[in-house]
Amino acid sequence: MEEKQGMAKVLAIIPGLAFMILTLFVLRTYVEPWMENVVVMGQKGWLVKVLSLNYILLSILTGMFYRNVIFGGKIPDWAAEGFRTTRLFIKSGVIMLGSLYTIQGLLKVGGIAITLIFSFVFGTILFVIWFGGRNKMDRSLIGVMAASCGVCGVSAAVATTPAVRAKPADVALAIATILGFGIFTMFISPAIGHLLHLSDYQFGAWVGTGILNSGQVLATCLAYNPDIAPGTAVAYGEIWNVVRVISIPFVVFFITLWYWRSEAQAEHISLVKIIKEKFPLFIFGFLGMTALSSFGMLGAEGSETIHLMRQVMSWIFGLGLVGQGAYIDIRELKAAGGAPLKVGLAAGAIKYVLALVVVLLFVAKEANF
Amino acid sequence: MMKILLALDPSTQTMDEAIKIATDKQASLTALFVLDTTWNDYTAHDWLSGSGSRADFLEYARDHEFVSETECAATFRKRCPFQCEVKSATGRVSDEITRELIEGEYDLLVMSHPFRRGLEVVRDTAGKILKDITCSVYLVQTNPPALFSRNGSASLP
Amino acid sequence: MSEPKKNTKMTVFKTDRHEDMAAIFFVTVVVASILIYMAFIIPSVTIKAPTSGKVVAVAVQKGSEVKKGDLLYSLQLKGKPEPKKYKAVTSGKILSVTAKPDDAVKKGKDVILVLQHEKGTLP
Repeated sequence: MEEKQGMAKVLAIIPGLAFMILTLFVLRTYVEPWMENVVVMGQKGWLVKVLSLNYILLSILTGMFYRNVIFGGKIPDWAAEGFRTTRLFIKSGVIMLGSLYTIQGLLKVGGIAITLIFSFVFGTILFVIWFGGRNKMDRSLIGVMAASCGVCGVSAAVATTPAVRAKPADVALAIATILGFGIFTMFISPAIGHLLHLSDYQFGAWVGTGILNSGQVLATCLAYNPDIAPGTAVAYGEIWNVVRVISIPFVVFFITLWYWRSEAQAEHISLVKIIKEKFPLFIFGFLGMTALSSFGMLGAEGSETIHLMRQVMSWIFGLGLVGQGAYIDIRELKAAGGAPLKVGLAAGAIKYVLALVVVLLFVAKEANF
Repeated sequence: MMKILLALDPSTQTMDEAIKIATDKQASLTALFVLDTTWNDYTAHDWLSGSGSRADFLEYARDHEFVSETECAATFRKRCPFQCEVKSATGRVSDEITRELIEGEYDLLVMSHPFRRGLEVVRDTAGKILKDITCSVYLVQTNPPALFSRNGSASLP
Repeated sequence: MSEPKKNTKMTVFKTDRHEDMAAIFFVTVVVASILIYMAFIIPSVTIKAPTSGKVVAVAVQKGSEVKKGDLLYSLQLKGKPEPKKYKAVTSGKILSVTAKPDDAVKKGKDVILVLQHEKGTLP
């Protein structure tokens, strides 16, 4: 296929994008209300209340259904360009989420988030380095697995791979493991949260720390509580997520140092350069929104303006998540295997359970902001 | 004259089988190497990658594809005792093999199973190709190469 | 040997750096549109129940003028001892009141009142 130019490039987006919008519209106006009323297991709305099948998980599931069943494993050419916009929407949604916080609030909760995350991040990294070594895993692959299990999953794997010279074929398997584990926890976490009667704050802290692939943290929180407002699961979970994202460059730096420790190349590793190359700029947008909301420029809490803004946000997220679902190929995930699967599962499961224990023991039901 | 297509991956066992059949049948042998371009879609669900991070990764993966192409083609040429063509294509591996089979009107496809080319390590290449073609297929059951050995390149058993 | 061009192409954007900038730009446009729409374009807003509960009291009548911070209505929420008070976030005039005390209202469904806000304020 030839690379399209200019207007043709923009036009190529329309069919896929329209298809995603239509899907979300049908899900939100017809499917979700129907599921809220239907009686399953002798309880009205069981699907939504217990399984958390609200529009968030429905969007992802429908996207997965398109890719795996209807499209037969490959997004067709007519929709490919449109579906590529999915990341743009999720990033936009995350930037808008910045409006849920004030600078003071962020500083208050940020301390706990940073402590919890950094201890888990570096704990996991050390575990993977040790456990991977025991399993005679290739050093490059250990580096990739340590980064991805430690911080943000796939994005960390992608960021570390070139630095530690990992083989792309190995990385493909590592990605399959991490993404597979992330998706699995995304579907079970809301149900576990409801079962343990976790508060939104505890739930956000738990999945923000425990879920292997940060891409799924947002969706999991929204599945637990689809409300977008200060004090909901997504508001807490996203702070955790943002701290994790910010820490990627530092983790890449640490792992690169570890990988090249005895070689001459170690001297050329520069933190500044890594930050420049790997730092996600959309975080600045997020902080910008927080600043605007701290100065009350986006309308008062409880106002109709804020209400409308959050409605728009939820549509933007839904749109992005349909596309996210369409990038999940179950057959590709099933190919996960070998050492990455073993190490990934061990690290992921320990982190997931340990984070839950820590949250239950040390994190209060209500946050003080 | 019978036309045989060999789908190249690092397996020398498959190369040898294809060469043997071509010699026995006095057929023409074409080898096809497909550079995998689906890395972008494979990592597309990840929205947290910052700045140039994913672009660096895709470039890195592409460089590996080039190295792999040179290695596979050289290995094959070294083993093949007669004149044969090595073609190169870019795209989704199974699609490109299928297209070449149909356009080139080949009689037989020889390939490894499981097929180890780019991202096909997570896909069922043969299963996908078999759905769309009518010619005969010879699958060479190969041992999965030592992907996770400490120093082995992911190849050449 | 043809160069696999498609490989480095990410979205319509060249890299994540571009994509991030585009997302920031997109959000700026969306947020600005919302603010302008609410402040200048629509003359009044329909205030629906922010959470499900029972109306305890409505402090305003049709036609009354309200100032920012004035009490509008209060709702009794499930499991809460005290009714929750809802105040006006902007000054304006009440165009109509639909909810009555003791009405059970559903979140986002039932209308409580319609408020005409001052131009340029965010209702």
